[in-house]
Amino acid sequence: MLSRTASELYWLSRYLERAENTARMLDVAWNMSLIPRSTQTTEEIAAPLTITGSREAYDAQFDSLNMGDVLYFFTFNDKYSGSIYNCLKLARENAHAVRGKITMEMWESINAAWLEMKAMASEGFAGIGVSEFFEWVKNCSHLFRGATYGTVMRSDAFRFLRIGTFIERADNTARILDVRHQIRDRAGDVAVDYYRWNALLRSVGAFEAYREMYADSISAENIAELLIFRAEVPRSLRSCVETICDLLTQVEGDSGINVKRIAAVQNARLQYGDMAHVLEIGLHAYLEDFLRRINEVGEMIRAEYLEVT
Amino acid sequence: MTMKVSDISPSGFDEMYLSNDEARPHYATFCDWLSRQPADVLSRKQREAELLFHRVGITFNVYGEAHGTERLIPFDSLPRMIPAQDWADLERGIHQRVRALNLFLHDIYHEQAIIKAGLIPAEQVFCNAHYQPCMQGVDLPNQVYAQISGVDLIRDGRGDWYVLEDNLRTPSGVSYMIENRRMMMRLFPDLFTRHAVAPVDHYPSLLLETLQQATLASSPRVVLLTPGRFNSAYFEHAFLAQQMGIELVEGADLFVKDGFVFMRTTAGPQRVDVIYRRIDDDYLDPLAFNPDSMLGVPGLMSVYRAGNVMLANAIGTGVADDKSIYPYVPEMVRFYLDEEPVLKNVPTFQCRKPRELQHVLANLGELVVKEVHGAGGYGMLVGPASTREEIESFRQRIKDNPDNYIAQPTLSLSTCPIFVEGGIAPRHIDLRPFVLTGREIHIVPGGLTRVAMKEGSLVVNSSQGGGTKDTWVLEAPSC
Amino acid sequence: MRLTIEHHTHYQYSEQVARSTQYLRLTPRPSVRQHIVRWDLDMPEAAAQTTDAFGNILHVLTLDKPHDEIRIRAHGVVEINPDQPVAAGNGLSPLVYQRFTRFTRPDQALLDFATGFERPRSSDDLAALSAAIIERIPYTAGETDATSTAAQAFTGGKGVCQDHTHVLLSVCRQLGLPARYVSGYLYTEDSSHVASHAWAEVWMNDHWYTVDVTNQSLKPDQHLRLAVGMDYLDACPVRGVRYGGGPEQLHTFALVERVETGEQ
Repeated sequence: MLSRTASELYWLSRYLERAENTARMLDVAWNMSLIPRSTQTTEEIAAPLTITGSREAYDAQFDSLNMGDVLYFFTFNDKYSGSIYNCLKLARENAHAVRGKITMEMWESINAAWLEMKAMASEGFAGIGVSEFFEWVKNCSHLFRGATYGTVMRSDAFRFLRIGTFIERADNTARILDVRHQIRDRAGDVAVDYYRWNALLRSVGAFEAYREMYADSISAENIAELLIFRAEVPRSLRSCVETICDLLTQVEGDSGINVKRIAAVQNARLQYGDMAHVLEIGLHAYLEDFLRRINEVGEMIRAEYLEVT
Repeated sequence: MTMKVSDISPSGFDEMYLSNDEARPHYATFCDWLSRQPADVLSRKQREAELLFHRVGITFNVYGEAHGTERLIPFDSLPRMIPAQDWADLERGIHQRVRALNLFLHDIYHEQAIIKAGLIPAEQVFCNAHYQPCMQGVDLPNQVYAQISGVDLIRDGRGDWYVLEDNLRTPSGVSYMIENRRMMMRLFPDLFTRHAVAPVDHYPSLLLETLQQATLASSPRVVLLTPGRFNSAYFEHAFLAQQMGIELVEGADLFVKDGFVFMRTTAGPQRVDVIYRRIDDDYLDPLAFNPDSMLGVPGLMSVYRAGNVMLANAIGTGVADDKSIYPYVPEMVRFYLDEEPVLKNVPTFQCRKPRELQHVLANLGELVVKEVHGAGGYGMLVGPASTREEIESFRQRIKDNPDNYIAQPTLSLSTCPIFVEGGIAPRHIDLRPFVLTGREIHIVPGGLTRVAMKEGSLVVNSSQGGGTKDTWVLEAPSC
Repeated sequence: MRLTIEHHTHYQYSEQVARSTQYLRLTPRPSVRQHIVRWDLDMPEAAAQTTDAFGNILHVLTLDKPHDEIRIRAHGVVEINPDQPVAAGNGLSPLVYQRFTRFTRPDQALLDFATGFERPRSSDDLAALSAAIIERIPYTAGETDATSTAAQAFTGGKGVCQDHTHVLLSVCRQLGLPARYVSGYLYTEDSSHVASHAWAEVWMNDHWYTVDVTNQSLKPDQHLRLAVGMDYLDACPVRGVRYGGGPEQLHTFALVERVETGEQ
């Protein structure tokens, strides 16, 4: 497959995954903001900005920190490159560039999403409910993924689409977990903690999984274990890295020996890791190290498969 | 039906109607069907077509507008029909013309017999910016220069066919021919049971075969080279690459090494044998042509001249479809084939000839004046439709540089009804059949019918608001 | 006359170049006028050899690993027979050289200048035209660069051999005479002169006439031809495209020396 095509597919799915993750994260932040005022902190409202490392971009655009502006910043805003608006725009542009390599169903789903997004952006939340909008974003992502699974040939096109999804997802899960833990470290109110953990689990779609796998009440350690080590959870770090490893070995040709190696090393660290090790070095340090490694995998995928010039 | 046919162009030739009440014989079945359609069905189908085209993204990027501006080319759902016998004559004429043009290209890049015979002045060829010195003496398989060509045809007031121009560089529009047919079959399946419409859907497989025959390499790797997604015809590039199952590449995907062309893939470099390029000559290799172009492949020309990669179409075909060469095409047919031309040229005045210039300047109000190297309907004067000021300013431009202009009588293009708010109305049309030349010549029946959507307008170019229709070559009398 | 040539070209880039491709016209074509005794081209990697549109010997050098410099050395020995005619070309019609190019397209000033001349019919006419050009554009180094057009040099009134040649080409073409650009080497007794040189050939009376405006000479007896073309871009010794690399520095060095027959 052409390196450029692989690159467009990879970024198409990364942007779409990013749009979905942003919607999930904000949906939770929005719901948190609806529970009694006493539980709200500046830190809570700023959490989505901290997670995505976009506080500076936000401050450049807005004078004060409030939920309304944060919502707008991440959704209909055409000025922030990571807004859902721009993610869908970029995803659709990438799809446009490789429309010969994706199926009509995939193209139609992403193209329709972008056309609807453009129409919605003119009215903003005056035209659609906040939760309704996030549902819509998730549905777009699900629809595209469904169209991909259901129609595209199991070739390198499929693989690079999936690799993009899982690199983005691993990055996102690690960031959310890291930031949420830091907020807890400084807070400490039990009732509020419950809401926070609940919210975190729902934002990565793992609330049901937690309930099924842990009989206990919600605890920080269990959540960390679930989202780092449990292969059964589709958004856990282990699940993401395992899939990436699998996909890399299936890519045609003999290229990519270096990225295959470091991905396999990271996979082994998750497969044979445990919470004792994490707690020993500290969750924040552990996740920082993971983020560095997963970004190195992303960088090497670019260098070994995707680079054009 | 409740629709009323407004005036059928009184002076011109209408494809569908003989008079206001009488359809031409090959349209009889269709008109009968049309008269029995409930009034709202056609408008519903028309809306459905627009929605579908928009959803699948069959769009057209417009030059001069912001990046990413995409427009739908208007599609009209009333088919343009051509009876079998008419088509047989056209096909023979197109076949003959394209053969002669390829022979001409081979000749001027080799022995130049037609020039030595005194039939075409040497300056007309060698001083033409589209004559490419790098093609002199280069031998091509089967001596084919234009693997893909389009011949633009029009009909005058009597219904006689004329060639308006030849397109031997990178003719576009064939994707609309195919998509229009698919759309019509989706919208009106019953019409296809009533008419024996010659199919066009096999064009991509014929095209692939033609491209493979452009090289002597066995099991060649063919790619389609596009300027990128902001090009006006990008949809077509992507469409054709997908239909043929070949890679759609941009300049940066290719590189030259050790005398060959390679493409960058996830599995390492892979050799490329044939490039169906949709980039103009001047942008193909910044080391041989325009040094500022980032669209092409540095070093490509050196590989091409060495015969290690084939380009379709060849470099330098523009010299044969240039408007300054057009008047000589009938002469080429006689010279190379020893046949009389089947298709007529529109009478053309060459402003570079003093006597013809005089005639042109004296009759500007009745003539169509075109730049010899212009394309896309730009840089032309339509005398009868122009103001006095426009004519006078054009007069000065012609006087300043007469070599740059040719003039033709204003032909009233034939009309064909289109669907309009509340009924149907005639609009001017032309026809671009697509010709594939490999070891043999293939012409898919019909081609692209372009429509000037504005009432009275003669400009059918999609870049200037033209639309399209499905073109039906009827294989047998309709039942 | 036997000449030895030593020609170094050295590009240095401030940043890494990801990849680059060069067209090199650094190998003289043998003819009855110039007998190539020996010629070598030293390059960082092997390059495919072919010929270009104008019959010049062309090397295509592709470097696809990151690099921050390119060194090319051309060197050899050539025997010049000044009495023999200039080679006609490769079957290409001389009329091709009547077309304007980006470097030779006239502006109003050049159009006006050309109207002062009849179409040249003899060597004397060419000499007169050449003299008029050097008068308008005295040789001045450093005022123009490789991207200057004939019109720009003419307006500036200063220039080097490349500019003189482009202006002559532009005027000849306006007057209906095909004329082509020649790049090559010039031998002079005085080694302080630039050995890399450019001049013109004009098609008149079915022959190519050499016109060296810079040296006001119509006799190519100390000229070694490397390449011809419609303008500088076609004939220049090195033409390349690179990806990345930032600003570049170019150092060239060319030395042409006469070998006394006794020294062989």
